[in-house]
Amino acid sequence: MPGELYKSAAIVGAAEANEIGFLEEPVTSLQLHIEAIKNLSEQTGVPISKIEGVFSAGWSTELAEHLGIKPKYIDTTSVGGCSFEMHVHHAMAAIHAGIIDIALVSHGENGHSARRVGAGGAGNYARGAGALSPALEMTMAYGLGGAPSNYAHAMTRHMHRYGTRREDYAHIAKVTRDWATLNPRAAMYSKEKHPFGGPITVGQVEESRLITWPLTILHCCMVTDHGGAVLVTSPEVAASLRTKPVWIAGAGESMGHGNMLEMDDFTATSASRSAEAAYAMAGLGPADMEMAMIYDSFTITVAITAEMLGLTAPGEGHTLWKDGHAAPGGKLPINTNGGGLSFNHSGMYGMPLLVEAYRQLSGTAEDGIHGVEGKQTSARTCVVNGTGGSLSTTGTLVLVADD
Amino acid sequence: MAYNKPIPTQGVHTRPFWEGARKGKLMLPRCQDCNRVHWYPRHICPTCHSMNLEWIEASGEGTVHTFAVQHLTFGPWAEEAPYVTAYIDLKEGDRMLTVLRGADAGKPEEIQIGAPVKVEFEQANEETFIPFWRLVEE
Repeated sequence: MPGELYKSAAIVGAAEANEIGFLEEPVTSLQLHIEAIKNLSEQTGVPISKIEGVFSAGWSTELAEHLGIKPKYIDTTSVGGCSFEMHVHHAMAAIHAGIIDIALVSHGENGHSARRVGAGGAGNYARGAGALSPALEMTMAYGLGGAPSNYAHAMTRHMHRYGTRREDYAHIAKVTRDWATLNPRAAMYSKEKHPFGGPITVGQVEESRLITWPLTILHCCMVTDHGGAVLVTSPEVAASLRTKPVWIAGAGESMGHGNMLEMDDFTATSASRSAEAAYAMAGLGPADMEMAMIYDSFTITVAITAEMLGLTAPGEGHTLWKDGHAAPGGKLPINTNGGGLSFNHSGMYGMPLLVEAYRQLSGTAEDGIHGVEGKQTSARTCVVNGTGGSLSTTGTLVLVADD
Repeated sequence: MAYNKPIPTQGVHTRPFWEGARKGKLMLPRCQDCNRVHWYPRHICPTCHSMNLEWIEASGEGTVHTFAVQHLTFGPWAEEAPYVTAYIDLKEGDRMLTVLRGADAGKPEEIQIGAPVKVEFEQANEETFIPFWRLVEE
């Protein structure tokens, strides 16, 4: 039996900024937001002035001000890359409660451009940490840098527990790149687009430069520019639009910890709980999922998450890629845009997951507003999972195509 | 040579930890109601939510829970790369982060999860002694 919120709202459109990836001309995060919102409005036909709720990872008042709108629901949940899946959850609840009918979820992040024009940028363990947080006080001395420096500890423990080898996870990077070669919008689409683009082999993943053992650089996501937005509406509004709805059948969120120091089990995340809630609301289970969009900050992230979502048994997450199931033409396509590993990853990757899931389930993966050829699947159901922080927070959605 | 790595900004409720470190003692917070040790130091027991906490002197013994080898980092630590970081299971319970000493960063395959470690302290400035963990030689 589905839960009360089952299909009480739909995603009715998904769009991106005009140009994304490693942009030659620096852009600001705000510009990436606004371009995506404008494209979303043009795609759906919903005027920006009709937006009633604004959901973003910290930007909502600035966006509403910039757009000249006066929202009656404002949510700035900012807990890393899963924020956007949580925004959809929150928007659905606000719509179900009758507070709003039209919700904007927006993302803009100049992860690449920030190096030249400033703004944005993630927290740094080595600098700026102070006595306000005892967790940082007790970890800042120990030489951790960016995300890979911490995530690698989970990979070591996962390999130890399940007897896997790093090469097992390298298949994830290889297969995800195969998807990117079907997507001209992907940063690593081809050698012409990027010197390191185009197909890669498992051997190349293994032999690439070490960032934090056991992670080589091809086990890691990129840092690029991205803007994206989706529109969430009530069923009544959805029925009036020219775009196809993709129904939110289930949603859930949870967290394990903030600082990785507090991660009880380095081989598990809260996705097991957020997925349990999402599946329960949908009245569906992992066996009903025909594709998946899973945050792949690192190969280990998506391997563990696949296990938490029930798509495989614990310790066997990598087999979905190694055995070809997650690959183009496989029985369970995963990360059909090319993922954070090879499509685009600006720092918080939750929005591209939503955009691609919408496109796949609305049949516009090849002719969306920035459409491309070759990656449209026949999937009618999709589980979406964002992960934030250091394997800290998770948001899970179960999306289904319109009948 | 002067210590050139990031030095923790000391809090108020963590003062007993840093005072202990200056004397070469590893001090850990323990709940007087459920007797569990927790790390990092809280204002409230994260298990039973009692605020009846005390500081105990720990054994300074632990084991490697998991580890990684840092090749690409920033700031002064970058000059030391590659080096090993590890999460340490404390004998008294819960876990600490460290830069692991006595481990060969060039041979991660030889570092054993579960290997015994002991704490040691390095003076960073007048009032700060930072705990680091070292593999116990067989």
